[in-house]
Amino acid sequence: MKHVIKKSLIASVASALVLGGSVAIGAGMDVPMIKVTPVLEGLDKPWDMNVRPDGTMFFTEKCKGLSIRSPGGTVTNIYGMKGSSGYSSSGADLFCEGQAGMMGVAADRNFDKNRRLYVASTSNKYHGSGCKSNFERCDGNIVMRLTLSEDFKSVTDRTDIVTDIQYKPFESNQPFGGPGAHNGGRLRVGPGGYLWVAGGDRHRGVCPQSPKLLCGKVLRVDTDGNAHPDNNPPAGFDKRIYTYGHRNVQGIDFRPSDGKAFTAEHGPWHSDEITALVNGGNAGWDPQEMTAGRGSCPDKYCGYEPEQMDGMDPAVRASYMPMSDTRFADLMHPTWNNNGWSQGTSSAAFLKGANWGIYEGRLATGVLGIGFGGTPIGQRIDMVGITPDGLGINGISRMPLGFSKRFRGLVMAPDNSLYVTVDEGEIYRVTATSMQ
Amino acid sequence: MFKSIGLFSIVLVCTLPYSAVAGDPVAGDKRYHQSCHACHGPAGKGVSSYPKVSGNSIEYTREKLQAYRAGQKIGPNSGLMIMMAKPLTDEEIENLSAYLKDAKYEK
Repeated sequence: MKHVIKKSLIASVASALVLGGSVAIGAGMDVPMIKVTPVLEGLDKPWDMNVRPDGTMFFTEKCKGLSIRSPGGTVTNIYGMKGSSGYSSSGADLFCEGQAGMMGVAADRNFDKNRRLYVASTSNKYHGSGCKSNFERCDGNIVMRLTLSEDFKSVTDRTDIVTDIQYKPFESNQPFGGPGAHNGGRLRVGPGGYLWVAGGDRHRGVCPQSPKLLCGKVLRVDTDGNAHPDNNPPAGFDKRIYTYGHRNVQGIDFRPSDGKAFTAEHGPWHSDEITALVNGGNAGWDPQEMTAGRGSCPDKYCGYEPEQMDGMDPAVRASYMPMSDTRFADLMHPTWNNNGWSQGTSSAAFLKGANWGIYEGRLATGVLGIGFGGTPIGQRIDMVGITPDGLGINGISRMPLGFSKRFRGLVMAPDNSLYVTVDEGEIYRVTATSMQ
Repeated sequence: MFKSIGLFSIVLVCTLPYSAVAGDPVAGDKRYHQSCHACHGPAGKGVSSYPKVSGNSIEYTREKLQAYRAGQKIGPNSGLMIMMAKPLTDEEIENLSAYLKDAKYEK
């Protein structure tokens, strides 16, 4: 691994060159200079980060564990997974499989005092008597609370504050059918210091609309894992649920102007979505068989139907298996649906600070890139302007990075730069400089 | 005499199975970027949940791509691979196999 900032390269491009959407270049518009610098290279599937005011960065690698990069560039591996080496300590129950592994990381809002970190991971510790098939409960995604040592070299006091988010234990007959599918996995600390946990449907038809299973949900909990007192899910639902009816949420952030939560999630061969969350709302994903006019489906999951192994007009597929089914009265209509395409939206972060010029307040949204059935691959970071009511967009510009990769994780740093992980193994820092 | 040898060579080449004709790694690189790069990453290094596909013998990659093209299941992401391999020609499989044999990700 080359844990050194060794070059300051890539793009230094005036974003005026790539302006699109409804934004036009005019006198007095502050189009910032955007620049990209590699922070770390040679990583193994980096997934998420958290950056402190002094530049210290926590980051996860999906199949290895949690590490710290010091402001000076030194990397210390602090909490590993089963089979990983070189870590100060590790959890023998933590494993990676397919899309699953160690994913989101967030720091407590009082981190400077309590040194607490929160990490989402896949674990076999809470399988219990479940997990014998794909058609029963399998608790395998957890959220851990860890305390970082004063010397930044180890963690102690692991406490599993959420232990019952479901996991897919076996292969199924779907296009991305391996075990470990659709975990969501992004963690963020939101207004009031509460922890938001973004989940996925783990390829089980009943998950998203189930009142009790936590798969296909966004949770809002306190730092002990208890429900936020103001969560308002429908009667009979687990009180930790803030929203339900999700497919696979890997992006969540809070609009700086009003604190409103927005998610980004993958679509199923169609309709990647950004959604403005409503407390207790339904994102409208319901891939159960024998439902909404559908018959039986492979392994009781209609998520890629119809004709799941063949290309098809995304609009036709969407009419059969919608991401946001309008039959639900409590549906949260999507803010944006990627023009009906699925290219794999992943993480999302609001651009904060006047240094971002005309892009300040836009939602940076990473796209992994999936080219199937005539859909353009589309690896990019979009800067999405969202209307004040959260129900539409008023412009999209592509972030001028100078390269395309699988953009997995996005997070804002306190200095108003954007940190980005890519599946290829790098972490980048994207800075914007106002031209006024 | 020489004329006979020349004629024999032409006949031999024309009757060899296609797989005996060496693939073009440059054309394979181009084709890889069209269909494979987004999932398997640059130079077949493997990213996310998608495996590394570079560094294997030409025979290995050819056999796997032909199997997927024929609709054969090999592993949990077969559904995807069968879809992606369906349109590949024999020549494209040879080119991809040649490219991936020595492809290296240099960051």
